[in-house]
Amino acid sequence: MTDNNTNPYKPMPMRISRAYYESNDHSLKTFELDFLGASDCDYFFAHYNPGQFCQLSIFNKGEAPFGVASAAWEGKFVRFTVQKMGTFTQAIHRLKVDDQIGMRGPLGNGFPLDMWRGKNLVIVGGGCAFSTLYALTKHIQHPDFRNDYNELIVIYGARNSGLCMYKQDIQSWYDRDDMQLHQAIDVPENEWLHHVGYVPDVVREVAPSPDNAVAIVCGPPIMTKFTLPALTDLGFAPEAIFTSLEKRMKCGIGKCGRCNIGPAYICKDGPVFSLAELQSLPADI
Amino acid sequence: MYYQIEKNEITNLLDHWMKLAGVFAPTEKGQFTVFENLMHGDELRINGPHNTRYPPKSLFLPQSERLFTLKNGNLVEPKINNEPRIVFGIRPCDAHALTLLDTVFLTDQYKDPYWQAERERTILVGLGCDEPCASCFCTTVGSGPFETRGLDILFIPLNEKYIIKQVTEKGGSLLTDLRKVPDTIETEIQKLEQKAINSLPIAFETIDIREKLYKLFSDAYWLKVSQSCLGCGVCTFLCPTCYCFDIVDEAQRGERVRNWDTCMFRIYSQEASGHNPRPSRFERTRQRLMHKYAYWLDSINEIGCTGCGRCVRYCPVGLDIRDMIRKAQNWEVVE
Repeated sequence: MTDNNTNPYKPMPMRISRAYYESNDHSLKTFELDFLGASDCDYFFAHYNPGQFCQLSIFNKGEAPFGVASAAWEGKFVRFTVQKMGTFTQAIHRLKVDDQIGMRGPLGNGFPLDMWRGKNLVIVGGGCAFSTLYALTKHIQHPDFRNDYNELIVIYGARNSGLCMYKQDIQSWYDRDDMQLHQAIDVPENEWLHHVGYVPDVVREVAPSPDNAVAIVCGPPIMTKFTLPALTDLGFAPEAIFTSLEKRMKCGIGKCGRCNIGPAYICKDGPVFSLAELQSLPADI
Repeated sequence: MYYQIEKNEITNLLDHWMKLAGVFAPTEKGQFTVFENLMHGDELRINGPHNTRYPPKSLFLPQSERLFTLKNGNLVEPKINNEPRIVFGIRPCDAHALTLLDTVFLTDQYKDPYWQAERERTILVGLGCDEPCASCFCTTVGSGPFETRGLDILFIPLNEKYIIKQVTEKGGSLLTDLRKVPDTIETEIQKLEQKAINSLPIAFETIDIREKLYKLFSDAYWLKVSQSCLGCGVCTFLCPTCYCFDIVDEAQRGERVRNWDTCMFRIYSQEASGHNPRPSRFERTRQRLMHKYAYWLDSINEIGCTGCGRCVRYCPVGLDIRDMIRKAQNWEVVE
């Protein structure tokens, strides 16, 4: 879509190949989309980088941005986890396998993976914002990429165990010897063997070393607000802390104007920013 | 290269141009003038004291524009209109604004095909301002009454004649039949231009305006200057450099359209979670002013205002952006 002679507002037709509830309260539903056009597929995978997002659209229901929750090596599909919030996300939730949906993307910058080569990665996520961090973790786990990075620590919190996403797969991460996983829920539950507490507290408890490390934080604003100081206290520099932002968007390509923080647009200059970059922008979030 | 034409011949010239291309020029609509596709040269109205109420940006970014039509469940692009057209009578401030908007719509990464098509099929014929209005402040923000930026041709009123300045090669194609004037006419034009410039007071100081506004970001200044704002958005709708749009589906017509939008509305930045980064009027006023006088400077080192004065003239409560910037420059920041 970025290629100059095509229309960047035009959605690619996609087919839903899998759809399943991700949480037991049915607020989160995961969709895997196949490409109906072969050139769309080639275009997507020639450009996709974990941390990017796409605009999903259903005619007459709306169009909105969602983070990509799959790594390219997983297959020729794109995964999204959608939280039911308003009329558009309700319409998405009603879609079934074989239904069509429009998709524009990949959009935004994604994670600066090249910059992170050789570093220890501390991935901190909370709630459904973990979806792009899941894509990042999946990407790094692939044997072709795993050696590009050093230690991998994942801290993932949810309000309760029923809201934990990608359960089976994430459970299997405990058996891997190339990463550390720390899962947390906010309040105690029977049979929960992992951390209990809020993500910022778990970060302090796990206390990852800032040496040669970067931390990537995605979560609800309240979690991010308290996790950033926790990482700073542990010694992470503003240049070594990254987060992914969201705002109301329309075009997704830096034209429609609304997702700016000062001169930066979340859609084209983000959604991934370092804390140092954010500190240089006005507090308009 | 200069040409000339008698003022009373302008109707004939437009009629002649209409044989070559569609001609869009200011014409009367109610109490105001607007740019429309003229059927006859005598519909032209350029003698009023003011610029058109709607900026000619609407010829390139219509207030409501069809992006796609729904056909068999697929969104299909409308056929691109590449028929040549002439926009006559555009003022230098509005042409300057189009060049600013090009930096948004025609980036290397994403070219907006709708904007690009309208720009490419258009020859812009400007009209110099020998008698600027009281609400004009183009010279304050780096433009001027005879500025040619963005124009292909500039018409300069000189007594009973228009002196016609060819700016681009594209513009030259329209002037071949006209009488040439030796370049010595430049001295007279410069005199006229200087007179027009002298009639425009410097409205405010622009040095360090960006730094000043950033310092004021969390200041009570914004509450003060936005107090009487009604949030109607007219300042943004009529602004030649405001380009924000919304994308919506018109179900009955089976169309996806984009409509002008405004940062002055609460819902503009309202998020699905309920959070709004600009929940009250002062944050929205701050966004409008800082976009023009700080963020544009950050991104292309130019002020995003061309001094057309529409926001000053049409604000229902008389808010004056010149006054707001003057206040900002003189405001004592409480650290």
